Amino acid sequence: MRLDRFIDDFQRDEAAERRRLAEEKSYAVIDYLDEVTDRFDERLQGDSLFGSTAPEVFVGRSGYPNVSTGVLSPMAEDADAETFATSADWYAEGLGVGDVLRRRSGMLNSTRSAKVDVDDVWDGFVGTQREVAIADHPVDVEVGLADTPDFDVDVDDITTPTGPRARAREADLAENPHVPRPVEKTLEDDDWAAEGAMTYLYRRGFDVYEINNILSAGALGQGHNRRLVPTRWSITAVDDTVGQYLRGGLRHSDTVDTVEVWTNEFMHNRYWVVLAPGNWEFELVELKAPESVWNPDATGYYLASAHEGYEGRTGYVEETAGAYYAARLGVLEHLADRDRQAKALVVREITDDYWAPVGVWQVREGVRNAFDGEYGEAETFRQAVEALAPQLPVSKTQLRRKSNLVAGLQTTITDF
Amino acid sequence: MFNAIVSADTLRTTLDSVSVLVDECKIHLEADGLAIQAVDPANVGMVDLSLSADAFESYEADGGVIGVNLSRLEDIAGMAEADQLVHLELDEETRKLHISIDGLEYTLALIDPDSIRQEPDLPDLDLAAEIVIEGRDIDRAVTAADMVSDHIALGVDEAGEFFYVDAEGDTDDVHLELTREDLIDLVVGPAHSLFSLDYLQDMNKAIPKDAEVTMELGEEFPVKMHFDIAEGKGSVTYLLAPRIQSD
Repeated sequence: MRLDRFIDDFQRDEAAERRRLAEEKSYAVIDYLDEVTDRFDERLQGDSLFGSTAPEVFVGRSGYPNVSTGVLSPMAEDADAETFATSADWYAEGLGVGDVLRRRSGMLNSTRSAKVDVDDVWDGFVGTQREVAIADHPVDVEVGLADTPDFDVDVDDITTPTGPRARAREADLAENPHVPRPVEKTLEDDDWAAEGAMTYLYRRGFDVYEINNILSAGALGQGHNRRLVPTRWSITAVDDTVGQYLRGGLRHSDTVDTVEVWTNEFMHNRYWVVLAPGNWEFELVELKAPESVWNPDATGYYLASAHEGYEGRTGYVEETAGAYYAARLGVLEHLADRDRQAKALVVREITDDYWAPVGVWQVREGVRNAFDGEYGEAETFRQAVEALAPQLPVSKTQLRRKSNLVAGLQTTITDF
Repeated sequence: MFNAIVSADTLRTTLDSVSVLVDECKIHLEADGLAIQAVDPANVGMVDLSLSADAFESYEADGGVIGVNLSRLEDIAGMAEADQLVHLELDEETRKLHISIDGLEYTLALIDPDSIRQEPDLPDLDLAAEIVIEGRDIDRAVTAADMVSDHIALGVDEAGEFFYVDAEGDTDDVHLELTREDLIDLVVGPAHSLFSLDYLQDMNKAIPKDAEVTMELGEEFPVKMHFDIAEGKGSVTYLLAPRIQSD
C-alpha cells in the first residue's frame, strides 16, 4: 500500500488558525482546560502517571519518518478509559462538539519521538504503545513523564481531537494486555499484505476504529512494510481499503429498485443520501457555511466535491479529503447489507454551529446512521434533487455545476 | 491457423484504439481480416474495430479467436520502429503467439477467450444528427472542456445549423460552435447529450488528428464516432453512453 496517497498539503498554520477559531467559538473549552490542569496535578505521582489507557494510540505525521507517537490516558481517576476512545458508540451517546472536546481534553497524550520503522519492536515506549493498540480492552500502563504537560487541544478535520500533551521518558505495561485471536493472526503473519489483513479483521467484526489503531501501530502488513502510520493517514487508508472491499463485492449485484432519499443531522452537520438505480457511482458534495471553521473568511457557501464511477478512482481526492472515504464507507455498508448497488449522492451541509472539527468519525457515523429510520421515495433522481434543492443553502445551478451526478447520471450501452 | 506480417505502425494504431477502453480483448482472426469488439468493465464505452487483410503485408487466417493482454502486446509492438515489420504466428499446439521483429523473438502467452468478458451486441441506434469533423477539432474541444469540467455536452443547433460543445464548471464555462463551413459535413437533427470527459479523453487519444470522424448524435443517446485507420484499410467505431439528465 502506498501511504503517500494519503498525504496532502495540510498546513500547520491552518491548523493553528482553526484552533484559534474554535477557541473563540467556545471559551468553555478553555475554562475546561483550567479544570483539567488542576485535576492533573492531583493525579500525578512524582513525575509518573499510573492508570488505564484508552485502547487508542496517536501517531503524529509531522517530521515523518520521525514522528511523535503517544498513548492516551484519561486523567479522571474513576474514568472508564474505553469511553475515551473514538468509536461508533459516540453517535449513540449523542455527543456534541463540546462533549468530544471535553472528553478528549481530559486525556493526556504522553508522547515520544520515534522512527516509524517498527518491524519487531516490542519493547520500550513504542513496544508498549503497540501492545496498547492491539489490545481490545484498556490496559494499565505506567508512564514516566519528562516534562510538565502542555495544556491545549489539537483539532483536525480527519483525526479526533487530542488534549494535553507531555513528553514521556518511558511507558511500561502494568498488566498483560488481552489481544483478540484475529488480531494475533494478522500480527503473526508477516507475509500478509496490509489491505488483505485489514479486510480480514473487518470481516471478523472489527470496526474501522479498531483496525485503524492496529494499522497505526504497524501491527499488520508484510514484515518489511510494518511501520507506525500517522493516525490521520491510517484513518483514511482503512476507510478506503474497507470501502474498496465492499464495493468489489457489489460489482455484480442487482441495483436498488427506486430512488431513495435518506437524511440525518449530527453535530450540526446535515446529511442527505440519495440512492438511485444503476451501476455504482458515488459522489460527496460538501456545502460549508460562511464563517464556519472550514470557511472562515467567505461570505458565501464554499462547495467541495469528489466523485467516482463504477471502477472507482485512481487518484487521491483533491477536495473533501478523508470525509469522502468515510461517507463512502457508510453508504457501502448499507448497500452491502442489502446486497444492492446504486448510484449514491451524499450532500453534507456544514452549518455555522459546527464550531470545531471533531474528526472524520463524525461524517462516518452521520452517514451510517442516516440509514436508520424512514426514507423518502422519488420517481426519478431528478425529482429527488428537485425536492432536495429548496432545503439546501445553495441554488440548484450551483449544485449542478459542482456535482457530476446532479449534472447527469452515467448510463450504460445496454440501457439503449 | 494465423500467420501474418504487418507494419509496426498499423499494429500499434490498431492496439491503441482498443487499449484505451480495456486491458484484455478477443481478436477474431477471420479469413478476410481481423476484428475486435470490446466494452469497458463499466459497460459505458465500446469499440468495434476491423482491419482488412489488405492492411497486412501478408495475411492468412481461418476464423479462430485468441485472447490477448493488450499492454503486453503493445509493449512488444513498441520495440519496433514505425516502418519495421512485425511477424505474428499462432502456435495452435501451445496456444502461444510467436512475434518476431527483425530477429527479436517474443513468445506471448494467450488468454483463454472464454475468460474475457462477452461484449454486448452493438445496439441498433437511430441517431438523428450526423457531424463529419476533423480529429483535431475533437481534440481541441475535449482539451478545452477538461479545463473546467468533468463532463461535456455535444449537440446540434437545428435553427442555427451548427454543431456545438458545452462544458460547465464550478465557475467557468467553455463553449465551441462549428458551422457547416468549419465541418466536413453536417446533417442537422435534434441532438444534445452529455458525456463523461474521462471516456471521451481516452477515445480522443486514439483518434488521429487528421482523421475524418463521422459522429452520430441524438437526444440523450449514445454518441457513435467512426473513423478509418491504416489508410482506409481498417475502421474503428466508438460508442459512448451518455450521462443523462432526465431520469
